[in-house]
Amino acid sequence: MSDQYHKILNIRELADSAFILEIERKGMRFEPGQHILLGKAGDIHHREYSIYSSVADDALEVLVKEVPDGEVSKVLRKLKPGDEVEVQGPFGFFTIEEEFMNNGSTFLFIASGTGISPFHSMVKSIPGLNYKLLHGIRYAEASFERDHYDTGRYVSCTSRDDQGDFKGRVTDYIKQADVDQNTHCFLCGNFEMIRDAMDLLEEKGIAQDHLHAEVYF
Amino acid sequence: MKYHIVQLGCQMNISDGERVQDVLEKMGFEPTDREEEAHLLGVIACSVRQKAIDKVYTQIRKWNKWKNKRNLLTFVTGCVLPADREKFLKQFDMVFPMSDLPVLPDMIRQYGVVTPAGIQTLDAGWDDWEKPVLESRNEAAFRMDKAELPGTKKSILHPEKGIEDFWHITPKYASGYEAFIPIQNGCNKFCSFCAVPYTRGREVSRPSGEILRELQDLVEKGYKSITLLGQNVNSYGLDKKGEELSFAQLLKEIGRYGDASEKKFWVYFTSPHPRDMTDDVIEVIAQHKCLAKQIHLPIQSGDEEVLIRMNRKHTMARYRRIVETIRRLIPEATLFTDIIVGFTGETEQQLENTRLAMEEFKYNMAYIAQYSVRPGAASSRWADDVPKAEKKRRYHLLTEELMKYSLEYNQSLIGKTMDVVVRGKDRKEGYLSALTEGKIIVRFASDNTDLIGEFAQVKIENAAPFSTEGVLVSQTVDALTQ
Repeated sequence: MSDQYHKILNIRELADSAFILEIERKGMRFEPGQHILLGKAGDIHHREYSIYSSVADDALEVLVKEVPDGEVSKVLRKLKPGDEVEVQGPFGFFTIEEEFMNNGSTFLFIASGTGISPFHSMVKSIPGLNYKLLHGIRYAEASFERDHYDTGRYVSCTSRDDQGDFKGRVTDYIKQADVDQNTHCFLCGNFEMIRDAMDLLEEKGIAQDHLHAEVYF
Repeated sequence: MKYHIVQLGCQMNISDGERVQDVLEKMGFEPTDREEEAHLLGVIACSVRQKAIDKVYTQIRKWNKWKNKRNLLTFVTGCVLPADREKFLKQFDMVFPMSDLPVLPDMIRQYGVVTPAGIQTLDAGWDDWEKPVLESRNEAAFRMDKAELPGTKKSILHPEKGIEDFWHITPKYASGYEAFIPIQNGCNKFCSFCAVPYTRGREVSRPSGEILRELQDLVEKGYKSITLLGQNVNSYGLDKKGEELSFAQLLKEIGRYGDASEKKFWVYFTSPHPRDMTDDVIEVIAQHKCLAKQIHLPIQSGDEEVLIRMNRKHTMARYRRIVETIRRLIPEATLFTDIIVGFTGETEQQLENTRLAMEEFKYNMAYIAQYSVRPGAASSRWADDVPKAEKKRRYHLLTEELMKYSLEYNQSLIGKTMDVVVRGKDRKEGYLSALTEGKIIVRFASDNTDLIGEFAQVKIENAAPFSTEGVLVSQTVDALTQ
């Protein structure tokens, strides 16, 4: 067995075709916000997935959304505890620089869909983080594990129902929100959301070096 | 017995090809430019563009037709995506990652091929070769691929494993004065337009001791231009987590050797990533004479949003800071770049931002590519929505922009005497072609082919956008005049 083959320990079902794979960590060290390359053991197809779990957790967790034509997510969906996946990594630079944490910065995290993964890892890994998390979803049922976030810091923005904390897209929320110019804004999810949100944030005076983005494909 | 290799792709592939040649020639194979007379036919594949992979399919279809008439062995190696690899297994006799090159002789022998170097005591050769008693070509190829041979036990998804053995092979350098030294293989950056992380695997740094030995050996042999190669060359050492030199430290070691050496030579590197271009790299280049004052810094796009879509992991501000540091510490340095036009979703304004970046950074050379989808790369999941004719227009627009600044720089050289490495005959009859330290092309009148591969001094008299013309001042350059 390759040392990059990791056993699935558990699968946590979430709403809307989404699930969390709990995978053997095998001592992997990572920074919150980084991603891994993941696929079924021996399969030729792999995809990048942000790490969902905290640096202190025993297991490595990824949040997967089953995509109808997905070459990887559909395969992962069929796996069961005890099956093996191939893991490479960690990779990436979508991380919070130590300097920002030390100088008491405030953070605005903006996610669409499963783009919440790196922020979950950051929030769970870094105690005392001064953040607000905007989560763009269609329906409120996709507020994955919202109890994991500190009270009042998680805001679901629902575009198709009014059961969330805010009715509308994350961009609608940003339009009517006050954002301090010193805030570090981290954006993760589909490109259209990132582009529109970045434009709005720039209009509100956020400098380019305070904008950090990770696109999901 | 003869071999013929079809080489596709970048300098890294060319460098890899030099090692393939060494292995085959040590087995007793002789090179031939005519594929019709070769017994062993190979492709060093490139997955950067679909066109290059299409060429591989065209090639193997032709070779497999020839197999009906004569005995042939075929192989493919290089940058191959896992999905293409599965298809190639049905068509080629041998499909292997470059890291398996050390066991290529074993693979060939498994086909019953007796080479002069293989069994010296037997008077046997290709004419005595009979079809191997292997299950079938496909099964044999698959078996080899699936690591039945020593040293090849690996996942097909980890082509980087075993690369250390590959680096031990001494390349058959194609040139007697310029050489490429691979220092790193693979990439961890995952730019969305690129398939390299999926073809070459993760970043692995070659031991610095080996690199320095190869470099010193080349310098002693009189090589003048040496290029350190890697997909992401300035992330050198990061995979070793403090147990290997950093890229800046490696350059420093080379610089110290150059300072102490009585030989004159120039060391280049390609391709770096702006993310890993630290100030200490630029500082060390400024400090040592043998580290060429030419920097290749791929920008790909001058637009922030496109950079995000490309997953480049740097902002324009970061790129700008690097260029400012280069201009401050090495004002004489020439600056080269790579640009992609017509990337998925690129708007007219985003193209304009790239043009503005060219205006700001005043590149001496830009390798401008029209975006093409590569299945396997992340951006292939987005629509390739800029029409071909529009990509071509954008390409020409940026090329014209480039020409303004390259001409301006080249004109500034008029009247100056430059050290150059003479590279060969120029297209212009009676002229030789050379490169300055900054990789500016200089042509000058001379029939003296003994100058090829040597340093010379040329006084620049005329300038064009991508070249200059001068007169030969001196046929030798004293190392101490550097």
